[in-house]
Amino acid sequence: MPILKNIAAIAKGMSITFMEMFQPTEVENYPDGPGPLKGAKFQERFRGVHVLQRDENGLEKCVACFLCAANCPSNCIYIEAAENTAENRVSGAERYAKVYNIDYNRCIFCGYCVEACPTDAITHGHGFELATFNASNLVYRKEQMLAPMPAHMGANAVFNQAEVNQGAPAVPVQGV
Amino acid sequence: MADAPKLVNLTVDGKKLTAPAGSLLIDACKNVGIEVPSFCYYPNLSLQGACRMCLVRVEKMPKLQTACTTVVAEGMVVATDNEEIKQARKAMVELLLGNHPLDCPVCDAGGECELQDMTFSYGAAESKYMEPKNHKDEQQWSPVVFFDRPRCILCYRCVRVCGEGMDVWALGVQNRGVSSIIAPNKEDHLECEECGMCIDICPVGALTSGAYRYKTRPWEMNHVGTTCAHCADGCKTTLGVRRADEGMEIVRGDNRDKSGINNDFLCMKGRYAFDFANHEDRLTQPLIRKNGKLTPSTWEEAFELVGKKLNEVRMRDGGSAIGVIGSTHTTNEENYLLQKFARAVLESNNIDHHRTADFPALAAVLSGKQEITASMRDVYNAPAILLIGNDPTEQHPLLAWQIRNNVRLHGAKLHIINSEPIKLRRQATSFTQIPVGAELNAASFLAGDDSALNAITASASRENWAALRNQLRNTENLVIIFGSEIRGAAVTAVTHLASSISGAKVIALADYANSRGASDMGLYPDLLPGYHPAAKSGLTLPQMAENAKSGKLKALYVVGSNPLARFHLDSQIFAGTFVVVQDMFLTETATIADVVLPAANLYEKTGTITNTCGDVQIVKKASEVNGPKSDFEMIVRIADAMGYDVRNLVPFGRGETADMGQSRGAQSGEADRHAVWLQANNLEPKLSPFDPMAIFDEIQRLVPGYRVSRLNLLSGNDEHTQLSQSGPGAKHDPALIVPAHDNLFSSGTLGRYSRALNSVMENRNPQPAEVAAD
Repeated sequence: MPILKNIAAIAKGMSITFMEMFQPTEVENYPDGPGPLKGAKFQERFRGVHVLQRDENGLEKCVACFLCAANCPSNCIYIEAAENTAENRVSGAERYAKVYNIDYNRCIFCGYCVEACPTDAITHGHGFELATFNASNLVYRKEQMLAPMPAHMGANAVFNQAEVNQGAPAVPVQGV
Repeated sequence: MADAPKLVNLTVDGKKLTAPAGSLLIDACKNVGIEVPSFCYYPNLSLQGACRMCLVRVEKMPKLQTACTTVVAEGMVVATDNEEIKQARKAMVELLLGNHPLDCPVCDAGGECELQDMTFSYGAAESKYMEPKNHKDEQQWSPVVFFDRPRCILCYRCVRVCGEGMDVWALGVQNRGVSSIIAPNKEDHLECEECGMCIDICPVGALTSGAYRYKTRPWEMNHVGTTCAHCADGCKTTLGVRRADEGMEIVRGDNRDKSGINNDFLCMKGRYAFDFANHEDRLTQPLIRKNGKLTPSTWEEAFELVGKKLNEVRMRDGGSAIGVIGSTHTTNEENYLLQKFARAVLESNNIDHHRTADFPALAAVLSGKQEITASMRDVYNAPAILLIGNDPTEQHPLLAWQIRNNVRLHGAKLHIINSEPIKLRRQATSFTQIPVGAELNAASFLAGDDSALNAITASASRENWAALRNQLRNTENLVIIFGSEIRGAAVTAVTHLASSISGAKVIALADYANSRGASDMGLYPDLLPGYHPAAKSGLTLPQMAENAKSGKLKALYVVGSNPLARFHLDSQIFAGTFVVVQDMFLTETATIADVVLPAANLYEKTGTITNTCGDVQIVKKASEVNGPKSDFEMIVRIADAMGYDVRNLVPFGRGETADMGQSRGAQSGEADRHAVWLQANNLEPKLSPFDPMAIFDEIQRLVPGYRVSRLNLLSGNDEHTQLSQSGPGAKHDPALIVPAHDNLFSSGTLGRYSRALNSVMENRNPQPAEVAAD
């Protein structure tokens, strides 16, 4: 009896609908939620805007080996390498990335760069608010992606100290 | 010819193969495509047997054998690929990695490291060693050589190439057994020719180059195979280029594919001295003298001014009031175009260049003789070599390398006649020292004039000289190499000697990258391309200076040359002359110019150049600096600015409209010879007036020696040009030849602006330390 079968199917479907009506709401209150994420919630594994990590001494982990760029399927990573000197030590090894750009016009967030990185320097953060009116803003420079200094290295310092002394609001260090 | 070597039969991995008796098992395997891994084995170096990677199982031998030191034998049965050997290789790689740092992401060799490749192909996935690695700090051995000791796998290639290949012996081994380390023989630094062969040959990243260190990675560069811009030997080089703010920057020079006449050889200049292109003094804008000062301007303004001025002088005083000085660093096409521009557009035969060898005299005596000039390859294979004058170790590093290795590997006999005890005498069978300037006497004696010896017997006894002459006369296929000491009559004497010996060939040594090409392309007042006499002879370079002094030279066009410094001319004499200079830098000549046009160098353009032996090779555009233009483009643009129809200068475009004789043929109605030639050779007309290949077509059509295989040339190989069908050449005043006397670390204008060369020079001749005044 096909008609009975159809009725049973509709009843089953609608039962889920009616059951859900009495469950608590799961909608995220983004962007009006509390906190810096404005209510957005992430799984740990979410692949967002990259973060370039620092080691425990505050030096950049990236040694400009170019493996991320070589591995990138959309060819969006541009690096210029330079040698560390005693006066200007940026990374822990002999070489560092003088320029490290990721073009988010092209990045497909596949995570291959993170897989390739031999020093765990590049990781995926949870940043996702990339929308912009100007495509050239989507080329992120190293300074925009660098992790903040570790806490004991003065992560809570303010870079506008001179202005703070004159009464300006303190702005925490991002990156550098 | 030697008999064909005996062949022996052997079996490798079940495959039956034959190999020449006496050859090594590793080579026999390689020839049939069986790969036997090795680190320490390197073709043409002595055997080391140090790395134990090439272990194979030979039947009836008790233990595994090293394939690199085992000579093939009749009936030998070899296994190269079974469980036992795999295990042995795995263990070897594990031992090598025992103390090898895992800093591949930072190491310069990462990506082209033989240890990486071997570990990938033959190594184990994990290591049994968990002890901490022994770290040693990096050492700097010379301005260009750095040594990272933990990375070294002790294959001894660097020690052998430095000693055997270069005859420098700057590297050695300290200590023995497990504590062996590679170290310089002179305390903590290298006392050497800075050739960088040790860096190139290092299978890992233990030896790294000061010029390339930590700049980029091998796969990030573009690799362009071109020809070196320095001396006249014409080494093939692969330039690694990367993007830079002002264009494309060269970061590395090596001969990556080991092709060409130089195999894997490059000297200091080829390997490091490409940095002149990015020197901060490089000109990038045309300069025009306004109110007595050189001020930056636009290309349009500069071309317009040059065209107008040159036209004015030509109309008012005739072409003979205009002088043209060509370059030894521009391509054949540019040289050809320049002399055509001078003769056709300026209507002047006053064209010359900085002469460093007497090629016209050579052409004069060789005209009509077949197969009598040697190529750079012949130097490596000749059974005997006679070297008169010059010091190839300093001035012609590749030639010296070829001679040394010919003597070492083929047992060639080297006879040297020189006024100085040059370093190559260490390889020589006979070394005869003569008084300075007595080369002509020596050559005349060898050619058969006994009386010529009287002036020089003080240095050697007559019997020795006679014995040398007899020995040379009986040496078939002798290669005679002579420096610029041999000029004029001496060239005739040497070639006389050569033609009396069966199979003998000659090489004349000039000093710059395209000295030979400048000569072949007719940068002479009395010679057209191919050493054909010009209808009317113009002024030589010193005569131009004379005329400028007396006010008869109204305009001077200098392309890539610095006559003021080279000929020690007084800058005041050009006060009344309109001087145009095309150069990379503000040289002495450029500072007195009225218009300076920034030029591209040999690494920044396409064309062909000819080395001193006559081997033509291609140059390809590798790097780029925003601003400068190639000399080719500038010459065409100046001709255009003068109102000349550039179609008559550069044969480009389809022939239909321009031709049937009105423009290019000799007489009206005559067929366009160029179009006919192109069609006969299955070539298309080129489409751009700035395409050097259009001029190369014309060179191939008109200069007999350059009718070489174009396919081979364009694939990056060398093609030898003969002088046999050249014109009759000319006898020039020997005083017109001014040798450059460059050494290993200097290279004319290019060397002056190379940071790498200057740093080596400073390191060698340090400024005397200040002495405390007490």
